[in-house]
Amino acid sequence: MKYLIIGASSGLGRELAYEYAKNKHDLVLVSRDLRDLAAIKSDLEKKSEIKVEIIELDLSSESEIEKNLFVERFFNEIDGILFPIGMMFDDDKIELDQEKIKKLFKSNFTSIAFIISKFLRSLSLKQGGIVGFGSISAYLGRNLNPYYSASKRALESHFESLGFLSKKTGLKIQFYVLGYVDTNLAFGKKLKLPKGSPKKLAKIVHKNRNSKFQKIFFPRWWGLVAMILNIVPIKILFFMDKIFK
Amino acid sequence: MNSEKKFLTSFDKSYSANIFFKKPDKYREIENHSRSNKNIITIGSNYSYAPMGFDKNSLAIDLSSFNRIIDFNLDKKEITVEAGLKIYDFLKFTLKYNLWLPQIPGYPFITLGGIVATNSHGKSCGTHGTIRKSIKKIQLFHKINGWLDLSENENKEIFDLTIGGFGLTGTIVAITFKLTELESGIFETHTEEVKSFEDCYKKISDDKNEKTFTYSWNRADSIKNFGTGFIYKNKLNSNNKTNGYLREIKQKKISSFLPLSLWNSLSVNIANNIYYKIQKMKKNKLNEDLIQVIFPYIGRESYFKLFGSKGFIESQILVSSKNMRMFMDEFLNIFKKHSPVITLFSLKNMSGEHNYLRFEENSVCVSFDFTNTKKNMEFMSLVDKLCVKYKAIPSIIKDSRLDKKTVSDCYIYYQDFKNKLKNYDNKRVYQSAISNKLDL
Ligand SMILES: Cc1cc2nc3c(=O)[nH]c(=O)nc-3n(C[C@H](O)[C@H](O)[C@H](O)COP(=O)(O)OP(=O)(O)OC[C@H]3O[C@@H](n4cnc5c(N)ncnc54)[C@H](O)[C@@H]3O)c2cc1C
Repeated sequence: MKYLIIGASSGLGRELAYEYAKNKHDLVLVSRDLRDLAAIKSDLEKKSEIKVEIIELDLSSESEIEKNLFVERFFNEIDGILFPIGMMFDDDKIELDQEKIKKLFKSNFTSIAFIISKFLRSLSLKQGGIVGFGSISAYLGRNLNPYYSASKRALESHFESLGFLSKKTGLKIQFYVLGYVDTNLAFGKKLKLPKGSPKKLAKIVHKNRNSKFQKIFFPRWWGLVAMILNIVPIKILFFMDKIFK
Repeated sequence: MNSEKKFLTSFDKSYSANIFFKKPDKYREIENHSRSNKNIITIGSNYSYAPMGFDKNSLAIDLSSFNRIIDFNLDKKEITVEAGLKIYDFLKFTLKYNLWLPQIPGYPFITLGGIVATNSHGKSCGTHGTIRKSIKKIQLFHKINGWLDLSENENKEIFDLTIGGFGLTGTIVAITFKLTELESGIFETHTEEVKSFEDCYKKISDDKNEKTFTYSWNRADSIKNFGTGFIYKNKLNSNNKTNGYLREIKQKKISSFLPLSLWNSLSVNIANNIYYKIQKMKKNKLNEDLIQVIFPYIGRESYFKLFGSKGFIESQILVSSKNMRMFMDEFLNIFKKHSPVITLFSLKNMSGEHNYLRFEENSVCVSFDFTNTKKNMEFMSLVDKLCVKYKAIPSIIKDSRLDKKTVSDCYIYYQDFKNKLKNYDNKRVYQSAISNKLDL
């Protein structure tokens, strides 16, 4: 089997590459910096008997995506796609500049939707898999990172729609809603709750790869937080926010 | 990108500080993080006894995500790895091809960047010298000078300053090593009793067998039994081809909550008596695996814990054969006067050419550990004077006590190292607690 991992150079993407390699899947790894990909490729190929291809790509550029990913060979060979990506800006506030807003939405949502739409036919024929990664931050509007969370909310909605499709086509769709995960995105941040291990998450993702539509919270107990955020009226949440500040 | 604040302590517990550190996992993050602070230093696994990889005013760059194998050429017996790779993971790979680095130090979770930056040596340093002998190339990142390839043919001066340069020339990102063949993963260990320091020194310095790793364990708990003990000779057992395999071991935290040291003259005497008796009862020839031989502290980490929260000091001194007898005579005189609590005493041969701040020379390496007490510190300041008098070289990475004067007097290339470093980086960006103390 051959898997395409978009955003494979660090954090969760890198853990996924190692987990899939350990289980003897060939890989196509995509990220913005070839230096990081080249290091992962050589390490994986030295330690396991798999083939690894690497592609340098800026996910906010449609033309680059088209040129590098939408090629016949990949449509034939790829059995599944994973999207462990999440672009963030330190200055992501409501007044964020337009270019950055566009970039965030392109990287975190539109490009993913674009890639999925192109691979949908070939993956449906093979009953292949598509794995997305959302964020618990998408469950409530916020002051900090509002565009990041909005793009992740769009992504989650998109995967729910794909879930309906999976019933008809046999596509395997999984969506992981992530709380705090111990990657560089959370590094040095004062978090009130513990971080989940990306290694453990990579194992879960690989184990679940053949399951039908699933939405999974990681770490698990974030499911409870999401449920509360869903049922408590927004006015009460605003009120609580005021009190705790 | 955020920094994380951590309270770090050196392995010997002599220095602690709250430090900010960053953990890049992309190449461009090494560049960005390095540019984000005035002073920085790269930290490996922080297993240096002295605080070499951090300082309260420097941002520490933790390279542990850079732990990959970049290239491997079996025909040339060469490997390129990232500097955050730990010795244990490195050996797991190379031993599959019966290859290794004979100069690796005695603890498996030390990083390859750390061993290059301190020019480490292993048990067989009498034969194989220090890690310098196995280094072909280094890829370095310097905040101001950028990316540099270093080797005998390229940027040679920086290459030489970087090996054993305590991370002061920049972040070592990748290293190419020349590997050595390892005939077997099993060693035959021969034990021989020694009756005195003289006896031990003679046997060690006479040992010129290329294929054995020779070192000693000696008592130093009283003047009466000073130097008695055993010499161990690890010989590769070429009949026993069990290569390609490294036993599973887990990294343990070596911290101690004991408020006081449990090592004192009485407990050291009891422990030495028990150890001595056990060694005498054991067969004088037995088979040991690579981990037992190369990493003697694995499974014996409690030895360090028993020093408690005040920690300990290790002194490692290279003494030339010309001066050894006079050095030891005077050492014994001050030993008699001060009765220091020495928990471990050992000798081994060392080979190599001394330069800059590298702990390397054709001589005998005398090592001893002692408890961190006022009496022992006074004893050691007299030993420092002996080092200066007899042109002996005390190890900087082991002994955090050493001051600028002792180091600059004992290391004849101290000023040369300092000048060249300043010439290469006049802002002196990379600084650790020890480099500041030694005014480097
Ligand atoms: C139990 C034990 C046994 C030991 N046995 C031996 C032995 O037999 N022989 C011996 O020689 N030593 C020995 N040592 C000492 C050890 O080998 C060195 O102190 C080594 O440098 C520790 O490496 P580290 O990864 O922990 O690095 P750290 O202690 O974190 O750093 C050590 C130095 O290396 C620098 N450094 C680390 N990584 C990089 C990098 N990527 N780029 C630039 N600079 C870097 C740091 O700035 C610092 O100056 C032993 C230590 C212990 C705890």
